[in-house]
Amino acid sequence: MTTVALLGNPNTGKTTLFNELTDKYAYVGNWTGVTVEKKVGQIRHSHTKVIDLPGVYSLNPITKDESVVTNYLLGHSPDLILNVTNASQLKRNLLLSVEVLELGVPVIITLNMIDDLKRTGHYYNLKTLSTELGCPVRTTNARNKEGLTELKADLVRDQSEIKPNLPLKLNYPLMVNQAIRQAATSLTKDYKVEPKFAHWLAIQYINNNKVVRKYATMHQLKPLLSQKAYYDAQKFDDQIFETRLSFIEKTLASATEQLQSTQHVAITSKIDKVVTHPIFGLPIFVGIFYLMFKLSFDWIGTPLSGYLDGFLSGPISSWANQFLTQAGALPMLRSLIVNGLIAGVGGVLVFIPQIFVLFACITILEDSGYMSRAALVTDRIMEMIGLNGKAFIPLIIGFGCNVTGIMAARTIEQPKERLITTLISPFMSCSARLPIYSLFVAALFPRHQALIVLSLYFLGIVVALFMAKFYHVIFKAKEHSVFIVELPQYHIPRLDIVWHGTWDKGKGFIKKAGTIIFAGTVLIWLLSNFGVRGYVTQIDQSFAANLGQILLPVFKPIGISTWQPISALLTGVLAKEVISSSMMVLFHTSNQTALIAMIGGSFTAISAYALLVFILLYIPCFATIGTIKSETGSAKWAAYSVISSLAISYTLAFLIFQIGSLLM
Amino acid sequence: MNHFMIKQFNGLDDATAQRLHSLGLQVGSSVQAVRFYPFHGPVIIQVDHQKIGIRYRVFKLLTGGKPL
Repeated sequence: MTTVALLGNPNTGKTTLFNELTDKYAYVGNWTGVTVEKKVGQIRHSHTKVIDLPGVYSLNPITKDESVVTNYLLGHSPDLILNVTNASQLKRNLLLSVEVLELGVPVIITLNMIDDLKRTGHYYNLKTLSTELGCPVRTTNARNKEGLTELKADLVRDQSEIKPNLPLKLNYPLMVNQAIRQAATSLTKDYKVEPKFAHWLAIQYINNNKVVRKYATMHQLKPLLSQKAYYDAQKFDDQIFETRLSFIEKTLASATEQLQSTQHVAITSKIDKVVTHPIFGLPIFVGIFYLMFKLSFDWIGTPLSGYLDGFLSGPISSWANQFLTQAGALPMLRSLIVNGLIAGVGGVLVFIPQIFVLFACITILEDSGYMSRAALVTDRIMEMIGLNGKAFIPLIIGFGCNVTGIMAARTIEQPKERLITTLISPFMSCSARLPIYSLFVAALFPRHQALIVLSLYFLGIVVALFMAKFYHVIFKAKEHSVFIVELPQYHIPRLDIVWHGTWDKGKGFIKKAGTIIFAGTVLIWLLSNFGVRGYVTQIDQSFAANLGQILLPVFKPIGISTWQPISALLTGVLAKEVISSSMMVLFHTSNQTALIAMIGGSFTAISAYALLVFILLYIPCFATIGTIKSETGSAKWAAYSVISSLAISYTLAFLIFQIGSLLM
Repeated sequence: MNHFMIKQFNGLDDATAQRLHSLGLQVGSSVQAVRFYPFHGPVIIQVDHQKIGIRYRVFKLLTGGKPL
């Protein structure tokens, strides 16, 4: 088994390359130290395993996400490192390559997005690059599948066939070199560290790599620890940076070739002229999101969901009912399957079209390169609440799923800002909340569906921003935000990449339907069919009714007058999708149309909106609570999140219902 | 017209300075300011055929201004 680690800067097309090289892959949980998912794939018809590492600018991490790479190199030794670079930004990409080459593990560098480079009128002599860097250099364009066959052939070799690389040796200034040599020698002699690794460790330690410094302290590597003050006082890290950069500039200068035809990359600039306009940038951003919601809820998603619902509640449901009757199944079992599972789980599955359209839109925004522009145009607003534009991206991803949104907050540099972003993420209206919105807007606001749903999303953002400002004041966050965002070239989204990304995000939803939503539906069916006297035929005597009625006085002030929604809300903590399937079971209906009629009968426009606001903001689902706990590393923040969101949601719903009732 | 030279990294926090270094910026690099956002919002600069968005405060410091 050969292990290849994929390593490179962000925006180099690394993930696309990974997807093109491997045919199946899996997320494998937990690296040592931090909980993050690593992606491991296999190259077809081979024994080569490919590990996709997060994109990093250097091995000295600033964010939590970046430390994964350094930790991987400290703990594992891959057979080969494939260093993916962006050909048109080779200068800064090679800064990372140098660090990797110093390790002495076999490396192949690929100049990816080679087409973008050619369009700028430059090319590099690969032979010169290869000699100077001391490793094979290939060119690829993963988006058009160019150069992949050759690259694959390099990767599927047996461990024994991979040629070893000598570590790259740069001419660091005399003092630095001496310090590296001394430390490396005694590490090898006294601590039995492998010579090549000792050399690399010494450079990284001297270069003030935080993770390596922690590693040295943990392993009590005295030769390094004892010299720390000296290294820092001499500013060796600056000297190392300058040496590396001038080496790279010299290498690139000797390898650069001019191409005859120069056709400038004008498209990106043209789009940017409009999209990042100082004044129109923000309205355009809002417009793009409005379009996204229109597509998901009005134009494509909702009609498709309607067909799916017709199919599930019509033919499927009646066929199952007939079959079970004929087979002589107990009425109780029939009720569980038809009224419980098909109605409940099916009631959630019908939202697949809407959710997938939303995920496809998010993927297109990510893949095209617009996300970083969104960070840019929103930065000034985010600055006012003490965050930066980059925090907007996790929040937008949170529209899909709060869990992935919170995970995406790992790219935020300042720990306090990351904590704030994590805490406000659950207010982003995730896709799981959609089913219940759709039911209520169809019942009570049939003519303004998209507008009402958009207002909820907007309210979520407003509450999130308000809370962020509040936390910023409370935490007394004084340090300036780190906001540096790269604006990559635009790419025309490619269908298979978009599908890949959509499926990656959406499959969790389908999986949940089969597990937690299934379980939640069975639970609510049991609660609604059994009471203190055993199996009950009247739902009013069931446990669910008892529970709902006990809590009814608490929910009266926010406009809920029947017990069914209350019981449904309780199950919503399992997963928000369960709310609508629970409603289906509790109102004893088997299709959406009937349920919508029921809801229309027991709510007014104001009480419905108050309830929707409550659902938007109340307790995060189990998965989100768990993620908050693991990302903040404390159960206290998770508990705080539960309590604070409950308080906020109740207060807002109360205000809306009371004030709304006065006005109407 | 909008060409500037990077004069210093002094006064920047470590993380910002390090990230700018990783993007290939150093004292003496010439940058082009492509766009300024209103109300001292972010600035888009172009270096080595790449566009980067940074905060106005950072831009001022890099081009030789006083720390705010």
